[in-house]
Parts: sequence; C-alpha cells; structure tokens
Amino acid sequence: MWSLPVIPLLINFCGALLGFVATLTLIPAFKDHFIAAKLFGIDLNKTSKQPIPESQGVISGAVFLIILFCFIPVPFLSCFVEEQCKAFPHHEFVEFIGSLLAICCMIFLGFADDVLNLRWRHKLLLPTMASLPLLMVYFTNFGNTTIVVPKPFRVLLGMHLDLGILYYVYMGMLAVFCTNAINILAGINGLEAGQSLVIAASIITFNVVELNGDCRDDHIFSLYFMIPFFFTTLGLLYHNWYPSSVFVGDTFCYFAGMTFAVVGILGHFSKTMLLFFIPQVLNFLYSLPQLFHIIPCPRHRLPRFNPGTGKLEMSYSKFRTKSLSALGKYILKVSETLHIVDVRQELDEDEEYTECNNMTLVNFVIKLIGPVPEQTLTVLLLLIQVVGSTTAFLIRYQLVRLFYDV
Amino acid sequence: MWSLPVIPLLINFCGALLGFVATLTLIPAFKDHFIAAKLFGIDLNKTSKQPIPESQGVISGAVFLIILFCFIPVPFLSCFVEEQCKAFPHHEFVEFIGSLLAICCMIFLGFADDVLNLRWRHKLLLPTMASLPLLMVYFTNFGNTTIVVPKPFRVLLGMHLDLGILYYVYMGMLAVFCTNAINILAGINGLEAGQSLVIAASIITFNVVELNGDCRDDHIFSLYFMIPFFFTTLGLLYHNWYPSSVFVGDTFCYFAGMTFAVVGILGHFSKTMLLFFIPQVLNFLYSLPQLFHIIPCPRHRLPRFNPGTGKLEMSYSKFRTKSLSALGKYILKVSETLHIVDVRQELDEDEEYTECNNMTLVNFVIKLIGPVPEQTLTVLLLLIQVRQILPQGGGRTPQWMWIHTKLLGHWEHLILPLYSFPSITLTSLLLPGLILTSPG
Repeated sequence: MWSLPVIPLLINFCGALLGFVATLTLIPAFKDHFIAAKLFGIDLNKTSKQPIPESQGVISGAVFLIILFCFIPVPFLSCFVEEQCKAFPHHEFVEFIGSLLAICCMIFLGFADDVLNLRWRHKLLLPTMASLPLLMVYFTNFGNTTIVVPKPFRVLLGMHLDLGILYYVYMGMLAVFCTNAINILAGINGLEAGQSLVIAASIITFNVVELNGDCRDDHIFSLYFMIPFFFTTLGLLYHNWYPSSVFVGDTFCYFAGMTFAVVGILGHFSKTMLLFFIPQVLNFLYSLPQLFHIIPCPRHRLPRFNPGTGKLEMSYSKFRTKSLSALGKYILKVSETLHIVDVRQELDEDEEYTECNNMTLVNFVIKLIGPVPEQTLTVLLLLIQVVGSTTAFLIRYQLVRLFYDV
Repeated sequence: MWSLPVIPLLINFCGALLGFVATLTLIPAFKDHFIAAKLFGIDLNKTSKQPIPESQGVISGAVFLIILFCFIPVPFLSCFVEEQCKAFPHHEFVEFIGSLLAICCMIFLGFADDVLNLRWRHKLLLPTMASLPLLMVYFTNFGNTTIVVPKPFRVLLGMHLDLGILYYVYMGMLAVFCTNAINILAGINGLEAGQSLVIAASIITFNVVELNGDCRDDHIFSLYFMIPFFFTTLGLLYHNWYPSSVFVGDTFCYFAGMTFAVVGILGHFSKTMLLFFIPQVLNFLYSLPQLFHIIPCPRHRLPRFNPGTGKLEMSYSKFRTKSLSALGKYILKVSETLHIVDVRQELDEDEEYTECNNMTLVNFVIKLIGPVPEQTLTVLLLLIQVRQILPQGGGRTPQWMWIHTKLLGHWEHLILPLYSFPSITLTSLLLPGLILTSPG
C-alpha cells in the first residue's frame, strides 16, 4: 500500500498554479494570431460586432499538456531516488502516458474541427478515435470487463456480469457523451468553462474524500489530471467570463470531455462521474427531439438578446405546422401539457406556423424565471451545476446503499 | 530472444496500406474545408493563381495516428492469446505509447503553427515541447546516458563516457533539428514529402538489414512506425507531386521530423539516422549565414520561376552593400571564391546594391546545372538524397568496408561522430542566438 504521495501531489499543485499563470498570460498574447487566422466569432448576445478570438481551449489545453509532460516522471521518482518501491509500477506509468495520448489527440482533433468546421457526424467520430489509445491501454493493462450488478438486478443477472466488448463500447461512448454534453450546454458567456470547473471541483472533492478508501491509487491518479485541468480552465475562464473577451471553442469542450472520461475510466469511477453530469444529462434529454430533428433544430439555439432591455429571452424554433411529423406533434403536445415547452401558433401569409422555444436547459431557466441578464443566467446555471454535484454526492454516499454493498 | 514477429509486421503492413488508401481519398475530400478555413497558398512557381490547400500533412498525420492507435495491442497479442511471453514487455509497451504521444503532440503543435502562423522562435520551441514525453519515457525506462567513445578519443576520454543531462539535450535537439532541416529544404513541388519518403525508405532498409543483428527489437520497433509513415506519406505525395494539387505545410515537416527523431532515439540508431540526413545537413550549413541574418534573408528563398521559359532559376537576395556586416562581407567573399555563391553588384539610384543567390541546396543545384524545369529539379534533389544513402547502406558489406578503410584510412572512425555531433552541437549552442536574433 502506498502512503499518501504528498510530494508528487504538491509538485502537481505547483505545476497547476504555473499553468494558471501561463494560460492567463498566453491567451491575450495570441489574440492577434487567432483573429488573423479567421478564428473568431461575434458575440450574438451583445450589441457590439467586435471580433472575439475563438478556440482558446487550444491554449489552455496545450498548457495542460506541457505541465503534465514535465510531470511524467514525478510520481515515479521515489523508485529512482530512494528505491522505495518494490517493483516499478509499470501499469500506472502506462496508464499515465496512455491518458495523455488520448487527451492530446482529442485536443488536436478538436482544434482541427474548430479550424476546418467539420460536420456533425465528425463530432461523434473524433472522440471515438481519440479514445482508442485509452481502450487499447485498458485492454493491455487490465482487460477487466466485469461489473458488479446493482442489487435490484442480481436476481436476474447474478452478482457479477462480464460485459465483454460492451464494456469497451461503453468506454468509447463515454468520451463521445462527455464531449458533446458539455458542447450543447452552451451559448452564454462563461458557461462551458464554468460548468467544467464545477465538475472538476466535484471530482477533486470526490477524489480527496476517497483517499481514505480502498482505491486510493485510482483517485491519486485522477487528481494528477484534475488539478492542472482545474487551474488551466480557471485561467481560461478569467478571460471567458462575462463579458467574454475570448471564446473557448469546440476545442475546449472536446478537451474537457475527454479529460473527464479518462479519469472516470481509468479511475474506475465512471458512474459517479456521470452523476456530476446531471445538468448535462437533463439538457441532453430535453434537447433530444431537436438533436434528432424530430422538431426542427436551428443553427444556434442560444437565448435571444433583447437590445432594449439588455436581458436574454427565450429563443424559438419556427417552422410550418404541416412539416411536423406525427411523432413531432405528439412530443410537442406532451411537452406543452407538462409545461416544459412554450408553444405558439401563428398565421403568416396564409401558412400556419408553429413556434416552440429551443429545447435547451438555458432556455428552460429563462422560461421559469423570465427574461434575465446574461451574467445572472450564467451564475444561475452554475448554481444548478453545484446543486447537481451535491445531489450526486448524496446519491453516491447515501442512496448507493440501495444498489450496492458498501 | 524473440523470433521474428511476422504476424504483427504483416498486420502493420496491411494497416499501412489501408492508411495509403485513406490518405489518398481523404485529401481531396477535405479540400473545400481547408480553403474555407483560409488554409491555402498560391503556387509561386506557376502562372495560375488558383488557391491550393495547405497543411495537408495534418491529414496524413491523423491517418498515421489512427492506424497506430489500432495497432497498439498487436505486438503484444502473443502475450494474451498464447501466453508466449515470459513476462509482459512493459518497457516496449511504454516506448510505443510514449512515441505516439510525442508524434501526436508534434502534429498538433505543427498544425497550430500552420493555422496561427507562429514566429520563428516558436519553430524551435514546439519540437522541444513535443519531445518532452519522449525524454521522460527514456528517463523512466532506460536512463542510459553513456555512449561508446569513438576510437580516436579513447586515449582522452576512456572507453565509455556518461553524457548525463547532455544526452537529453542531444535528444531534444534531434527533434528540433530533424523537423527544421526538412522544413528548410523545400520550396518546389513534392520536395518535402519526397525527401521524407527517401529517408523513410532508407531507415526501413537499414532496419531490415539489422534484423539479423543484435538489436533486433529496436529495429522491429522502428519498422512499426516507419512502414505506416512511408505509406501515408506516399498517399500525400500522390497529390503533392508536380504539379501539386495540395501543399504539405509545416505540419508535415514537424510530423516527419519527429517520427524520424523518435525511431532514431528509441531505436538507438540516431547517428546512423543522421547519416540519412546528409543533404538536409548540407542545406542547413549552406543556409546558416541567412538563417542568422548575417546575410539578409528574404521571406521566401525558393527558386524564381521564369514564365517565359517555364523553368526555374536561382532566386536572389538583394540588399544595400553598406548594410552588410564585416562578417557578412567575409563570408560572401569566401563563398564567392569557392564558387558556391553567385554574387552580383549593381548601382541603383546612386546606391550600391549586392545580390547573392539565396543559399539553399535547391538554388545551388540550379547554379550548377542552369535553369531547369521544376519536376526535373525535384527528381534531381531526390536522387541526391538516394545517392547519399547508397554508400551508407552499402557500407555494411565487407567490400564497401574495405573501400572505406582504404580511402579513409584511420580517419574512418572520426568521420561519423565528427559529422553528426557538430550539426547537433551547432544547433544547440546557437539556439539562444537564433531565438534572440530572429525578428519579432
């Protein structure tokens, strides 16, 4: 059993602080390069049409990578310096390098997506490809595809269930899910980076709590990634917070999603990690009809800015009533009855049009509380994220007894 | 001792062929994306001003990575399936993953450089950062920094010499050198990809020859990378060959240089690998005065296209004679005397100007043989690349060894280290100077 590796954790923390400062300074330093490269966007929720550099996630991601590259030998120094380990921990070393490979590849492909504007099907392919090294390392390192069956299902499936190749499918899908879930809960200044910070903080808290537990090594491994991620993202959020002077880009969503997936998979706490994604899951489920184009999905679903009041209002998707499929009509009716969607009918040039609010969590919050300033909205959604994490902890430590023996 | 892992090598080869087809088809498929992203260039050696997609090295690089990701468990399958290995070869596995990390990071940073147009000092920093995982893996895996001292120095230094941290500096510099050496031997259609293809083929040949030797595992490891690299680059060259419909971009030079550095370092044959870089080294040494701005260096040093004859001629660097430093004047005089640089003086509006040809190997070939069509020039330069390799490959046979010894005498053992180390030492010693003196 390892005693707590205080020195590596301290070095990791110091490196993370360096990363915070580096991200903080590098982002303004490269603004011109990004604008010259046409990597900029216009803030649709502001009156100003000033170009705002995009894809800044590439900078925080690159800083994250460099810090962790320098950190590679640190957890293993005790083996060289004082020969305090019985045998060199090859498995941990390979996990570390393999995780960096998956994250590095994801940042690369994510940046390529931002630059080349790849299509939606690519948004599902890229995380799958980037998670390949993770799957391969898992296969070569553990190959363990057995799960403990939750109590209610034990009558049916027994105590343990070998998922086989399905376990790898699950791991691959985890990366796809995490990246895209963060990507669609977006649209207002500071939301993507902010939600990722809350999730990272939750995971760090969970890891620290579990340091007293059985799987200490897994949680130390997770901390080695989460601490630098937290601080580099903090540096990014400093510039991305309302009013944004930079945008994080899809690069950041890919980077964050993959980093979470990596620690969840190799730390063996993916189910707990998904509990921290409750708001993202809710947003995903609510968005499903539009993601599958059962209900028409416009290019942008972010809230609509009212220049008069300076507040954000719900944005709507407008379409011909005839063009809606039977399934679409049904979904719209049920949602309207449950008061989770705002539906309006109108006549325009002898054609009947239906308008429904874009089905995102951001719009839903506006529906509940009415038009609201952008910064307030972001803070509210981040509070929802914190509530979600708190609920996750409750589920993990209290309700868990209903499903597993602890 | 391992018997030859035929099945993994065959799977690697098949994967490489798939990579060839993938690169071949993906490059045209993404043309519009690149042009929409403003990642294109104009071919300065053609009359047409059609936009040509740049940075296609990112596609061949991504395909290379995906193939090798899928290939990760293959060399180790025998350990799972038939339990044919005594103990799991952790060192090899970590080397493999660590190498992929360095290459992946390099392609990423290279693509970022292409997109963001980073400055020259970044071109030296990026490969250093990308080689960090390689150094860390080396440190944690071997930590061996002792070299065998060449015979002439043994009286002075003994049989073995522990370079310590200098060995890591050397490894870091190797990546910087390989990437930039390929990058500056460029400017005509198909040259970057073509030279890399020749170097890769040479390394593959060397690896195959050495399969019968002592360090078989190192050479098998190298083959696992070089074979997919060869075929993905072949797919790239198909579109990049004269007349180019795509440009490879700095991304490719970074990708190629790092891949070569990786196999050279972890395969423990970096000195031999540098021998395959002779044209790049010659080009680098010839370019030094301009790289250090001792002689003014224009933005582009590629040959000048003559629309009338359709041939390429030397391109020149024009500057006020007064603005030349004493060192610059001296270098120009010596080069002129040795007939390696063409110098012209002229009077322009009462100001004396000097023109000298841009000091690149490409220009030098034009100087020797006169104006030449672009495709011929590329083929010539590739032949130079091949010609330099043949003696090295042949140098292993007894016949060549005999000729070598007869011709070189006791200087034979001096040539190798004298040749390879100065280039690296030069780069590493002058690195701060390059960073400080580069404009902007």
